[in-house]
Amino acid sequence: MMDGRISTMTMTRESPNRIELLQGTLDMLILRTLLFGHAHGHEIAKHIQRTSDEVLQVEHGSLYPALHRLERKGLILAKWETAKDRNREFKYYRLTPAGRKQLAAEESKWKQFAGAIARVMWPVAGTE
Amino acid sequence: MAEDPKPGADLWRRIREWPSLLRQRQQREADLDRELRSHLDLEAEEQQNEGLPAEEARYAARRAFGNEDLVKEEVRDMWASTSLERLGQDLRYGIRQLRHARAITAVAVFTLALGIGATTVIFSLIDNALLHPFPYKDAEHISIFRIHDLDESGQFGRLGLSIPEFLDYREQNHVFTDMTGTGGGDVLYSRGQGTQQLYGVFVTTNAFQFLGVPALLGRWITPQDGEPDAAPVFMMNYRLWQEQFHGDRNILGTTFTLNGISRTMVGVMPPRFQYFGGDIYLPLTLSRTGVSGPDAAIEGGRHMYLVAEERRKPGVTLEAAAADLNVIAQRLAKIYPNDYPKRFKVETDELASDVVGNFKKMFFILLAAVGMLLLIACSNVANLLLSRATSREKEFAIRASIGASRGRLIRQLLVESFVLAAVGGIFGYLFAWGGLKALIAVMPPDTLPSESVIELNWAVLAFTMGVTLMTTVLCGLVPALHAVRGELHPRLKDSGRGVNSNSRHGGFRAALVVAEVALAIVLLAGAGLMMRSFFAIEDVNLGFNPRNLLSARLVFTEGHYKTAVENKIFFQQVLPRIVAVPGVVDAAEAASYPPFGGPFSEVTIPGKSHTERWEAMVEACSEGWFRTVGVPLLRGRLLSETDVDSARQVAVINQTLARRYFGEEDPIGQKIKFNTFDQLSDAPHDAYFEIIGMVGDFKNDDLQHPPRPEGFIPYTFALYGRRGILVKTAGDPASMVKSVSQAVWSVDPDVAVTQARPIESFIKDYAYAQPKFGLLVLSVFAAIGLVLVIVGVFSVMAYSVSLQTHEIGIRMALGAQPGNVLGMVLKHGLRLIVAGIIIGEVASLILTRFISSQIWGVSTHDPVTLSAIAVVLATAGFAACVLPARRAWRVDPLVALRDE
Repeated sequence: MMDGRISTMTMTRESPNRIELLQGTLDMLILRTLLFGHAHGHEIAKHIQRTSDEVLQVEHGSLYPALHRLERKGLILAKWETAKDRNREFKYYRLTPAGRKQLAAEESKWKQFAGAIARVMWPVAGTE
Repeated sequence: MAEDPKPGADLWRRIREWPSLLRQRQQREADLDRELRSHLDLEAEEQQNEGLPAEEARYAARRAFGNEDLVKEEVRDMWASTSLERLGQDLRYGIRQLRHARAITAVAVFTLALGIGATTVIFSLIDNALLHPFPYKDAEHISIFRIHDLDESGQFGRLGLSIPEFLDYREQNHVFTDMTGTGGGDVLYSRGQGTQQLYGVFVTTNAFQFLGVPALLGRWITPQDGEPDAAPVFMMNYRLWQEQFHGDRNILGTTFTLNGISRTMVGVMPPRFQYFGGDIYLPLTLSRTGVSGPDAAIEGGRHMYLVAEERRKPGVTLEAAAADLNVIAQRLAKIYPNDYPKRFKVETDELASDVVGNFKKMFFILLAAVGMLLLIACSNVANLLLSRATSREKEFAIRASIGASRGRLIRQLLVESFVLAAVGGIFGYLFAWGGLKALIAVMPPDTLPSESVIELNWAVLAFTMGVTLMTTVLCGLVPALHAVRGELHPRLKDSGRGVNSNSRHGGFRAALVVAEVALAIVLLAGAGLMMRSFFAIEDVNLGFNPRNLLSARLVFTEGHYKTAVENKIFFQQVLPRIVAVPGVVDAAEAASYPPFGGPFSEVTIPGKSHTERWEAMVEACSEGWFRTVGVPLLRGRLLSETDVDSARQVAVINQTLARRYFGEEDPIGQKIKFNTFDQLSDAPHDAYFEIIGMVGDFKNDDLQHPPRPEGFIPYTFALYGRRGILVKTAGDPASMVKSVSQAVWSVDPDVAVTQARPIESFIKDYAYAQPKFGLLVLSVFAAIGLVLVIVGVFSVMAYSVSLQTHEIGIRMALGAQPGNVLGMVLKHGLRLIVAGIIIGEVASLILTRFISSQIWGVSTHDPVTLSAIAVVLATAGFAACVLPARRAWRVDPLVALRDE
């Protein structure tokens, strides 16, 4: 459904709903990615791309406003750490309890949303 | 679909984070840069691992990333969306906008400063003078009372109580917790090298406790000091302590010889304590026979009159107190019938009424004037900002199209207006600070209770801030809402300077101009009437010649000149010596000085019956009095030297006395008795005077009142009233004070010569001072109002013209003559001004009745004044229109049309 690129860059103010939808969805994906451990920006971008079978082409840059926003809201924590297998430091993000709760909430809302669309698109026989 | 977890928690977190965010702003930038760099490096690495050469790898990484700068912008934008950082942005933007429109900003600031400054000054005055003038404990419950004669409408009523009376009131009342009595008198302080006259205030021993003002140094006078065998003590006033004794603390506890008695100084009062204006304070011990204790020998002890101040019990109103006192007064009137008029009523009053009473009305008039000025200022600013908002619509439209929300635009406009109001407020405060200093310097003496401290206090500051805020909202919100309401985008298509935008606010702005002009007319009317009234007072016929007239009081040491004979001998020696001084034309003994007459006394005229109380002023003077003062003789003859020398019981009366008590009859040869002498133990009783002459009326009850009946008798008849001299000089009286004093001292060096001053300057200072003050202040307000209106009209017209340049260009291109265009612009402006003048004149006719108490000698509907101010304002308004109109006339059609 959401083919193409998720890009915050080409969003315009004429359609505030779209902004919120796209921004919110990206946030949710980031939170989900961090559910099982910490990761830095690059890893998160790669992860989303990979697990969505390359359908969701996240423009890497668009992640960072989202990450910092989530950090500001206290849903994730950031810390510079040395990478396990390298001699380099990256800024790692991890989920907070608040973030975990938010993820659950977003998840259920998304399921509701998807379910509603599904019911319209593919109605159960007899309810048309 | 992301939501803030809880708006409160989010905001709270933002607030908590703010200080650290602010501090680490640069660190954040560096951090972000580092983070993005590490991302790009990693991506480039991976691309390289997949086979791309280094350069291309980096390129690919950047492509995958997207626009780095835009990302940073977005992150920064997100950081900056804390309200305080946004506020900072708005502030900077607002200041920049204000700097762009320099002229309008300057005018608006100037206008606001004037309005706020004037309001603050008057409020400080009122707050300090009317509301909290006294430093006494619980001053709101302190009151005074007077015996008001119901048949004498003009007088205030008797304030002074005799000592037995005072004691009766104190013992018999049910409404006061405490009562103090105060009397003032001259106290002669004997220093090593001479005698100095001080003004001593005698107070009942409970007075200092009553007033509750802590002593600066030492202690209070307490009831113990009034005990029969207590050591004599006194306290000193701060000013005397500083000026004469240079604040020397060592004089505390030392003894001073006052009125011949050795007293110990026990304390000094703080600067703000000016009770009854005393230099020193002495205790009074009262008993039924008069004054007892160490002060029994004070001059006039038995006949001392006290002013009572009392503290009402909680919950007792002024009216309730008056009612209770009335009962006592009725009782006392039977015991002391001579002290009470036939019909009377006790009236109570606040403490400040004595001094401030007259001025209360003036204060409120000034308050109204200030309110009007503030309205003019506000409407000016509103007009300016409205005009400017119109021309900024294009700017707003553009900003809306690139994404600014309405709320944001409104907020920015509000911030901008607040900056404007804040700057105006700061200048207004400075203006108020300076203005208050100037006002106090100009204020006539005794206008305010001397204890009141006039300064800008916190209440006033808060009020100023409130006014600032109110003007912000008033001026900022209207244009803000106006500009942002409706479609923003279509504005872009419009050139933004066409007819539409001008007429958008046109009606409201026109109304503002009309209102300003009307208010200015009202202010000018008030000032104009006061000016005419002031000149009327100056013009008033005094009835005597005040020029080159010097008056002075003579104060005798305790025990000297105690009889009428001794008094006569003294003056018969002094007066010739004074006349002998070069530069002196004439001299006389006098108990009072014009335009005030002698003390009042009830009179009895045989053969005449009357129901109301008949009284007259009594002047005990020497034969030279009439020549010296310059009062004309109308009938009969004046007092002669032999009359005075032999203390003959003859009297000269003034026209008013003759007319009132003798009607058409010839008063010459008739008899008159002045009842007051019956109460003096040293004077002949039941003394009838033969009337030998009648003089023309002159002002003897202040300048505003008609002359009172007055009689003149030889001063040698009895010791009566104060002793003083009037001296007619050839040249400037002020320069003669020293030589006249020396003439007095050549007869007796122990006599103090005080209150020596030229009558003319006294009249100027005292009688003219209050109207002059009111006139001055009101004129300043009116002038400021006029300036503001001119500025307002000018700026509105100028803006209107600049907005209409396009339209004017079209008209001229279509063949209109420059003259027509000029006429069009002028007509528009003049129409507004004329409308304002008409409305203002009508309003003046209605409103000036409120200042009628301050106007004297001219009607509140005086046509001369009203038409004069109309002319003034019309001229000023016309001038304000002409300049912008001329600019319209010079418009080059080509330039105007091209300018989009």
